[in-house]
Amino acid sequence: MYSIEAQGLTKDFKIVQSREGMKGAFRDLFDRQYRTIRAVDEIDLRINPGEIVGYIGENGAGKSTTIKMLTGILQPTSGDLKVNGYDPHGEREQFVKTIGVVFGQRSQLWWDLAVRESFRLLKKLYSIPDEDYHRHLNRLTEVLEMGPLLEQPVRKLSLGQRMRCELAAALIHQPRLLFLDEPTIGLDVLVKENIRRFLKQINEEYGTTILLTTHDLSDIEALSHRVVMLDKGKIIYNGGLPELSKQWGGGPRLYLELKEEWALSALQDFTKDISAEWQHIEGRCYRVGLTGPDPSVSEVLSRVVPHASIKEIRIEEAKTEDIVRRIYQEGVPHA
Amino acid sequence: MTSSKLFIDYFMQYVKTRLQYRSDFLVQMVTDIMFQAVNLVFILVVFSHTTQLSSWSREEVIFIYGYFLVPFSIFAAFFNLWEFNERYIIKGELDRVLTRPVHSLFQVMMETMTPESLSGAVTGLAVMGWAAWEMELDFYWYDPLFFILFILGGAAVYGGLYIMLTSISLFSDSKTDIQPIMYNIGNYGRYPIDIYNKVIQIVLTWLMPFAFVGFYPASFLLHDERWLTFAMFTPVMGLIWFSLGVLVWNLGIKNYRGAGS
Repeated sequence: MYSIEAQGLTKDFKIVQSREGMKGAFRDLFDRQYRTIRAVDEIDLRINPGEIVGYIGENGAGKSTTIKMLTGILQPTSGDLKVNGYDPHGEREQFVKTIGVVFGQRSQLWWDLAVRESFRLLKKLYSIPDEDYHRHLNRLTEVLEMGPLLEQPVRKLSLGQRMRCELAAALIHQPRLLFLDEPTIGLDVLVKENIRRFLKQINEEYGTTILLTTHDLSDIEALSHRVVMLDKGKIIYNGGLPELSKQWGGGPRLYLELKEEWALSALQDFTKDISAEWQHIEGRCYRVGLTGPDPSVSEVLSRVVPHASIKEIRIEEAKTEDIVRRIYQEGVPHA
Repeated sequence: MTSSKLFIDYFMQYVKTRLQYRSDFLVQMVTDIMFQAVNLVFILVVFSHTTQLSSWSREEVIFIYGYFLVPFSIFAAFFNLWEFNERYIIKGELDRVLTRPVHSLFQVMMETMTPESLSGAVTGLAVMGWAAWEMELDFYWYDPLFFILFILGGAAVYGGLYIMLTSISLFSDSKTDIQPIMYNIGNYGRYPIDIYNKVIQIVLTWLMPFAFVGFYPASFLLHDERWLTFAMFTPVMGLIWFSLGVLVWNLGIKNYRGAGS
C-alpha cells in the first residue's frame, strides 16, 4: 500500500471578480461574476511508506493547496485520493490520527499553556494510552532536548525552541506520515541542522514517511530521497535531486581571469566543438558555463591555455537553487 | 463519553491559563460581579416604574427576564463564536483544528469558551427567586426538572442559530454584521410574547425562535397554561435548531477554502 496515492487530484477555487469603481461595486452587489482558478491541476502522485519527499514550487504554485487536500483540510474538487488508506476529507477524524502536521508559520500548540500542558491536551485529543505517551514523550524530550522547555508557556519560547516543540507535538501520537510545511522557515543554521538530523533519525528509526515543502533547497538536499516540483498546479518534475541537476544542465561554472583582454568570439572559437558558454563579465574576467553532456573543466582549460595565459581560475559547482531558479524563469525545456 | 472527558480537560486547561494571569483573573471576577450587580439594579429600577405590561404584572415580567438570563448565560459561556471569522478563518487556526481527530465545532467551542459568563445564571436565578417570592409563587416537584430541560433547550436554540450564522464565514470569508443584529433581536425573547403584534410573534416562534429561550418556558413556570404546548416544545426546538446548526457547519467545512498562506 502506498502512503499517498493521488490520481487526477484537482482543486478549483471560485473567485469573485470585482468590477472597477463605484458603479462596478454596485453592479457586484446584484450580479456577481465568478472566475474559476485551478490551483491544483490533475496531479498524479505516489509516495511509498518510509520515503522522504520534498515538494517544491514557487509561491502560488499549489503546494499549500495540495498539502491541505492531503491532510484532509480541503475537499478535492475531483480526482482520487487515498492517504494511509483513508479518504482524508471524508474520513477526517479517523484519518488524522495517522498523520502529523507541522505548519512552520502557524503554531500547533496552545499559546498560553505550558508546553507540557499542550502535550497533555494532545494526549487526550488523540486518546493515547498513558504508557505509550510517557515513553514516547521521554524519547522526544531527550532527542529534541526539550527538557528545560516543558514548563514554559509556548508564547515565551524562541522560534527555534518552538519549532522543536511543534515537531514533538506532531509526533506525539506516533503517526506513520508526517507533513511539514516550511519547517525551517526563519531558523538559524544550527537549529536547521538539528531539525534535519532529527527528521532523518525518526525516518530511519520508525519508518515515518515525510512529505515536506520548503523554500530552502538545502533542506531537500539534506533530507529527500525524491523531489516533486510543482508549477502552475502541475507536476513538472518527479525524481531524484541529482537527476534534476543533470537533466537541466547544471554543469559547473568556470571563472577565468586572463592576462590580457580577448574578444569573446575568439574565445568561443577555441571551444567550438564542446558546449561551453562564454560570457564576458568585465575587463579581463570571463565566465564559462558548462552545460552539455559532461564537458569537463580540464577540457576547456586545455583549449584555452595554448592561446591565452591565465591569471586566475575559480570553479563553481552548480547549485540546485540556481537550477531550480532557472527552471522557474525559463520554463521546462522538455516536459 | 470521550467528549465529556475532553470537555473537562479543556476546562481544566482554561482554568490553569486564567490562573496564570492572577491579577487579570481577579479583576475579571470583580468586574463580573459588579456587572451582574448593575444588571440587577437596572432591571429593578426599570420595572419599578411599570406596574403592568399588557396583562402581565411587574413581578411576572421580572421573573421572565430573570429566567431568560439563565439559558442565555449558558449560551454565552459555550458558544462564544464572535471572533470565529477573525481568529479561525483569517488567521487560519481552523487548519490546525481540522488536523485533529475530534469534531471541529466541538474543538472550536472548547477553545473559545468563557465559563465565567455563567455568573449571569446566578443573577438570573436571584432575579427569579426575588420575583417568585414577591408573587408567592409555588413550585411543583416537577418544576425543577422542566426548568433544567428548558434552559438546555433554550441554550441549544440560541447556540444552533449562532452556529448557523458563524458558519457563513466558512462559505465566504467576507465579514458579516448579521451576528450583532441577531443578538439584539434575541432580546425580544425576554418579554411576554402577547405584547407584540402577530407577525413578530410568528417570527419569534418559528423563524428566530427566541421566544423559546425566554418567554414560553418561563410562562410554564409561572403556571400560565396558555402557552403550555409551546413550552413543552422547547427541548424539541433546541434539538432541531442545534442539529440544523451542526448540519450547516458540516456543510461549511466541506466548503471551506482554507486560509491563504
